[in-house]
Amino acid sequence: MSHDNPLQHPEVQVASGRGYLLTFLISTLLMGVSLLLVANHAMAPFGLMLVLSLCAGLAVIVQIYFLMHMDLSEAHIWNTVALVLTIPLFILAIGLTAWMFSTLYERTMVMLPTMHGMAGMVH
Amino acid sequence: MSSSTSKALDPSSVELWDHSHHHHDVISTRTFGFWLYMLSDAMIFAVLFAAWEVLSYSHSFAAGPTPASFVEPGYVFLQTLALFTSVLAYGFTMVALKNGNKAGVISGLWGALILGVAFLALDINDVVHLVGMGITPDLSGGLSAFFILTQTHALHILFGLLWMLVMLVQVSRFGFSADVVGRLLSLRLFWHFQAVVWVFVFVFVYLRGMLI
Repeated sequence: MSHDNPLQHPEVQVASGRGYLLTFLISTLLMGVSLLLVANHAMAPFGLMLVLSLCAGLAVIVQIYFLMHMDLSEAHIWNTVALVLTIPLFILAIGLTAWMFSTLYERTMVMLPTMHGMAGMVH
Repeated sequence: MSSSTSKALDPSSVELWDHSHHHHDVISTRTFGFWLYMLSDAMIFAVLFAAWEVLSYSHSFAAGPTPASFVEPGYVFLQTLALFTSVLAYGFTMVALKNGNKAGVISGLWGALILGVAFLALDINDVVHLVGMGITPDLSGGLSAFFILTQTHALHILFGLLWMLVMLVQVSRFGFSADVVGRLLSLRLFWHFQAVVWVFVFVFVYLRGMLI
């Protein structure tokens, strides 16, 4: 497969105006909904964080598929593999740190009145 | 299996290497290499998000101001719109590139650049406003984590904008050479990845910060 004209390369040819527009609309809509839910205190903190995480996750999946073109095609499968293998690193780095500190705070800061407030429920 | 190989192989005449010159797919290799770089850059954000996670309890703000008292969600949503439209403009730049439309690529880059500058101006204005109110990173661990995370993202935006300026010059000077196209593709990954990071910053720093 030779690419004498760089514009014929699959990385260039994969561009899709419709996909980009769709991503813009979906992620803007999801961020707008998240904003309204928080601004109106629509739910209890725990349920609210659940819905917000869902909105963020959906927006990111749409962006990764339509903007970054992560799929199983021949041109992009290794990008997708690299991403899939990196996601556990994110989850371990953030999740384990969060878990360590939340148990630390539980053991060492039980007397702090603020721990029993609304923010305590968020975590 | 053993019968077919023992029949075909004659050790004195076997060729162990390929003499022909193959074209290397430079654009694919560069794009993949840059994507690996973006993923390691994302680990910086993982560390900063972990720090924010453990420093966003209400006691992390040392009885000082929390994001609930100073984050204006409408203002941050304006930033979201500026960045997302900038990313959209860069997407249309890529469509123009696909069609070999040089004028389209240049105007798309200008659009992405101007909207990115708008995002950065909104961010800088916000920081100046906060510092003016005496809300500075040194007040508490929570605010340190807040400022470092949001401003590390802003720093990425700044470098993306500088890169766009460079590409504007290179596209008009060298046209669509393999090098220029490769750089436009890397910048596409970089710029679109900033939108992904912003989703997390917007939801888990600004919006969740309003609950603290």
